[in-house]
Amino acid sequence: MIVTVTLNPAVDKMYWVEALKICDTTQEEFLTRAIRSSTSAGGKGVNVSVLLSRLGMDNVAMGFVGGHTGHVVVRDLRDEGVTTNFVWTHGETRANVTLLQIGREHSPNLINEAGPNILPEEVDRLMRRYKRILGRATWIVLGGSLPPGVDPGIYGEMAQMAKDAGAKVILSAGGEALSRALEACPYIVKPDTREHLTLEGKGLTTVDAIIEAGRHVVACGAEIVIISHDVTGDIAITKDDVWEIEAKVSTSKFKNLVGADDVFLGGILFKLAQDAPLDESLRFGLAAGLASAESDEKICRDLAVIEEGMKSITVTRL
Amino acid sequence: MKVRDIMTKDLTAVEKDISVRELIFILNNAEMPNVPVVDEDGKLIGFISEKDLIRAALPGYFEMLHSTSFIPDMNQLSRKLTSISNEPIERFIQKNVMSVTEDDDDLQAADLIIRKGVKNVPVVDANGRLVGRVRRIDLLRHLL
Repeated sequence: MIVTVTLNPAVDKMYWVEALKICDTTQEEFLTRAIRSSTSAGGKGVNVSVLLSRLGMDNVAMGFVGGHTGHVVVRDLRDEGVTTNFVWTHGETRANVTLLQIGREHSPNLINEAGPNILPEEVDRLMRRYKRILGRATWIVLGGSLPPGVDPGIYGEMAQMAKDAGAKVILSAGGEALSRALEACPYIVKPDTREHLTLEGKGLTTVDAIIEAGRHVVACGAEIVIISHDVTGDIAITKDDVWEIEAKVSTSKFKNLVGADDVFLGGILFKLAQDAPLDESLRFGLAAGLASAESDEKICRDLAVIEEGMKSITVTRL
Repeated sequence: MKVRDIMTKDLTAVEKDISVRELIFILNNAEMPNVPVVDEDGKLIGFISEKDLIRAALPGYFEMLHSTSFIPDMNQLSRKLTSISNEPIERFIQKNVMSVTEDDDDLQAADLIIRKGVKNVPVVDANGRLVGRVRRIDLLRHLL
């Protein structure tokens, strides 16, 4: 069983506009009418769950939800066929807003809320539920930011519990939550570099720097480290190999980049869970991410499109 | 159709040692009229509903009266509920719980819901672990 954990899920609200008007004086008021909009459950683990379910792979999504938006997240996941296992909290699940200007969809404007404050007893409730499901889990995905009130060491604790229960851990996070979880030696580490292009204090601006930072994390105990260095390119570092995954596609074809990175990770998991080799899993993952970026929907649902997209992706051993 | 085709895939459940107050919070926020009770392995061990809590808050002689007109005011109910609010839910649980498996026919779940009048039926796997539930509305929307 695959279990995804999203401690700070969101309702992803996306608006497509002709032009984004920003009111910069108090006298003026601008109204921007959306040409199109969409609402869906979001967050790293949630996006992985939706992709897996759309590809026919059963999985369980868990984390914290609360209030009206919490119901939107749970309802959306159930409609997608994902098994839900969320802890209800006093606060309201956050909403993340994305503004996409037609013709410039590859440069979205994002407004992400911090998320609700989580109480200690709510963390305890989640950890009990997490412990309960570990006996059935083969893969655990720990993904995304932490809501206020949650100790940054939680991913480390959850990763260690999963390892002790015999499950493989995929960690996609940033900052202190990532650093403290490395001690538990996750199977795959995918640093979140959206805000800071660094990993364990090392810059990630060149391929050489990415490889050095990745090797450092592998030396800490991770089996595979995957770091994005471009929208259409990633580098995977293992103990013995370094792989560069590249796609020959134009970014002007992108309609929606929200969640594409999570779909990339979900695609890799989809293949690894079926015992596919790493290079094939990486190709499939990037193809899934790009298929999502090129589709109107946040997350692609067509396996044939992903498999066709794999033809434009190369995986090279560096 | 099989139960797996119509069930709501949700693992919301509680442990027997949570308090009455905590249970009310969960039922209210998850918008569920009742919830399965599971052990540390996720195995179904019981069931608890709003009705069980109301029954627990009523005076002991209420079952014999068959009418709420004998209750002088809501304060009596409130006082009793407050007095048990920090108690574990264990003693209010229905332990004789009916369940179905994913491979059962939908008719089996329908039979329990219609004949026994329950609002939903827990679904368990071969090891007795909770995997979801069939709600009355699940039956209705799949019949249409």
